[in-house]
Amino acid sequence: MPVELHRDWIPVALSADLPAATVVPAHTPSGILALWRSESGKLTALADRCPHRGMRLSYGFVRGEALSCIYHGWSYGRTGQCQRIPAHPDLTPPAAIKAASYATEERNGVIWIAQNEPQEPPPTLDGFKPLRSMPLAVDADRLSPTGEVRTEFAGIDMLLLIVATGNGEAVAHIMIAASASKDDCVAASRAAEGWRRDCERLALEDRAS
Amino acid sequence: MILYDYILSPDAYKVRLMAALAGVKLDLRAVDVHPGREHESEPLRALNPAGSIPILIDGDLILTESAAMLVYLARLAAPEWLGDGDAAGGARIQQWLSFSPRLTDHLGGARATEMLAEPGDLPALQQAGIIDLRQLEAALIERRIEGQCFLAADRPTVADIACFPYAALAPDGGVSLDPYPSIRLWMRAIRMLPGFIEMPGIHRLHELKPEPLSTETPETV
Amino acid sequence: MTTSSQPMIDQWYPVALASQLPPEGRATQLMGAPIVVLPGEPIRVVAGGGRDLPVTVRYGHVWTSLGEPSKELFDIPEADQPGRRLVEVGVVRVRCSPLRAVENFLDIAHFPFVHTDILGAEPHTEVGKYDVEIREEEDEVWATKVQFYQPQAAKSATGGITTDYMYRVPAPTSSVLYKTCPARPGDWDVITLFVQPLTEELCDVWPWMALFDDETPTTDLIHFQQMIFLQDRSILENQIPRLLPLDPGREIPTRADLTSVAYRRWLKRHLFTYGAQLVAQ
Repeated sequence: MPVELHRDWIPVALSADLPAATVVPAHTPSGILALWRSESGKLTALADRCPHRGMRLSYGFVRGEALSCIYHGWSYGRTGQCQRIPAHPDLTPPAAIKAASYATEERNGVIWIAQNEPQEPPPTLDGFKPLRSMPLAVDADRLSPTGEVRTEFAGIDMLLLIVATGNGEAVAHIMIAASASKDDCVAASRAAEGWRRDCERLALEDRAS
Repeated sequence: MILYDYILSPDAYKVRLMAALAGVKLDLRAVDVHPGREHESEPLRALNPAGSIPILIDGDLILTESAAMLVYLARLAAPEWLGDGDAAGGARIQQWLSFSPRLTDHLGGARATEMLAEPGDLPALQQAGIIDLRQLEAALIERRIEGQCFLAADRPTVADIACFPYAALAPDGGVSLDPYPSIRLWMRAIRMLPGFIEMPGIHRLHELKPEPLSTETPETV
Repeated sequence: MTTSSQPMIDQWYPVALASQLPPEGRATQLMGAPIVVLPGEPIRVVAGGGRDLPVTVRYGHVWTSLGEPSKELFDIPEADQPGRRLVEVGVVRVRCSPLRAVENFLDIAHFPFVHTDILGAEPHTEVGKYDVEIREEEDEVWATKVQFYQPQAAKSATGGITTDYMYRVPAPTSSVLYKTCPARPGDWDVITLFVQPLTEELCDVWPWMALFDDETPTTDLIHFQQMIFLQDRSILENQIPRLLPLDPGREIPTRADLTSVAYRRWLKRHLFTYGAQLVAQ
């Protein structure tokens, strides 16, 4: 049964790429978010911009249950509310200092961010497990009008979740058949490199003609 | 042991980093590369006709290639950084030591052009740098599939140190590291090593230290 | 170039180190216009169409203007004080607004996080009260009585000290910093940031210093300053937007940011808006 991707949910990262107490930049069609996992494992997605001086929060650091900006150390909790301003250690930050937050869901090793207000949870992608995320210099629409590609790499069933990331670029979050062995995973990862080269070559040729 | 050094040179930083991790004390001699171009002066050409930095001198030994310096420091003080000696592991280390000058040429070239306003074909250097980063990312993904996080062994080796600086400083040359989750995790693992030192452009991992406690009761604005 | 950038056209900008001009000259740009800085006696700066631009050589740098400066280049009296070492640090290119580069230079609260264990360190993060004013007579922004705890305030410092600072903005893309001189307590070291606006979102930064320090080799002094500025560069290239927002709602200051608040107000008052964003987007 084909996986109907819900346009309300955008896949942005694989769980394995975001261990506890780390932050990553999550690329979505509408911009970059700072996606972080607290020390206790809770996921949060915030606008990737510190309200103080506009520094990207995805360059920051996670201590305990808060994300701090690398520039001045202002820290933000899971609601995006500023909790602490190190230049004024005794000050309770005003409520106005807040980064926008977005709903996240983690299912089957994939992290999704809500666009709109989803009525249903993101798909479970039964029968697959995550392999890797891969950027491509190709328009997402060229790869798939629906946001998903079903294919085989090295003879193994694959499901690619395609997300446009702007400037004619895309990310493919690559899922592999759940039964795949380590050797299968290595073979599929290598085949994915070839698939990307093909896609980028064709896109270049198209642009040239 | 004398290192002719430049604070902004990622190749010199590799040697300082390896020495710090191996517990070797270096006698640093700062060379005015930018803006003075001292590395191209006759006294330094006498040590290294190529006019590049770093140069490592230990008695009669003069080394001018950073990969050789890493191996030398490891052999002297921290042989575990050379891997365990099996054929594939040893070859893997050599593979990355030989690969690392490509990072210097491409990502380092982009960095010198973009940051220090030196002449260079920036888009071509950036594009070549992206191909290098993709190769590094693909290799690290395979290592992760095997349950490993370093390039050549089940522990960090000179291969990791040879590739780390130019990869970490790719953004200095306008090449984003956003799209490389495995490179980012690998860099993090290196930055967490005991004895790790930074260079400008590579910030402190502040999360390794707990947040200082506030001592007084909060005031309001 | 937009008409709103007009007031900044008549300002002086650094475009080269006078001592480092190659025989063929330095081809560069100023506010989007290609120019060439030519060595010789006197040094010339030539714009497109062969037009000669006004030239001043001061503080080791060649200064020029696309417009007609109504004043001479700002004075730094300390530059002529006997016993100081004048240090040319060279150029660093940054993909940011020239105004953001200056604003970062005026900021101390980032020291513990960006210049860790050098200019600042946790838990010494607090920024105390200091004085800020726009001096009407000189038409300059000044911040005084600024204090901060620093683990290694200068190349010649051997341990942590509480450093005194004064900041001065005499021109929209130049700033002069006075800080405690470890070698001569009671005197001030002078560190400047001269910024050449290449475009509204790209600049060449020329740090320069006038120090009391007879001990430290010049190369070490240059490298210390390059290290500090390169730590800032990765911040400056990742601020959103690249332009400096002058709309008060776009970024939220605190008491520690009063110098920045005064700088932005002063820019707005003079319509110094090349590199600024007037309305939030």
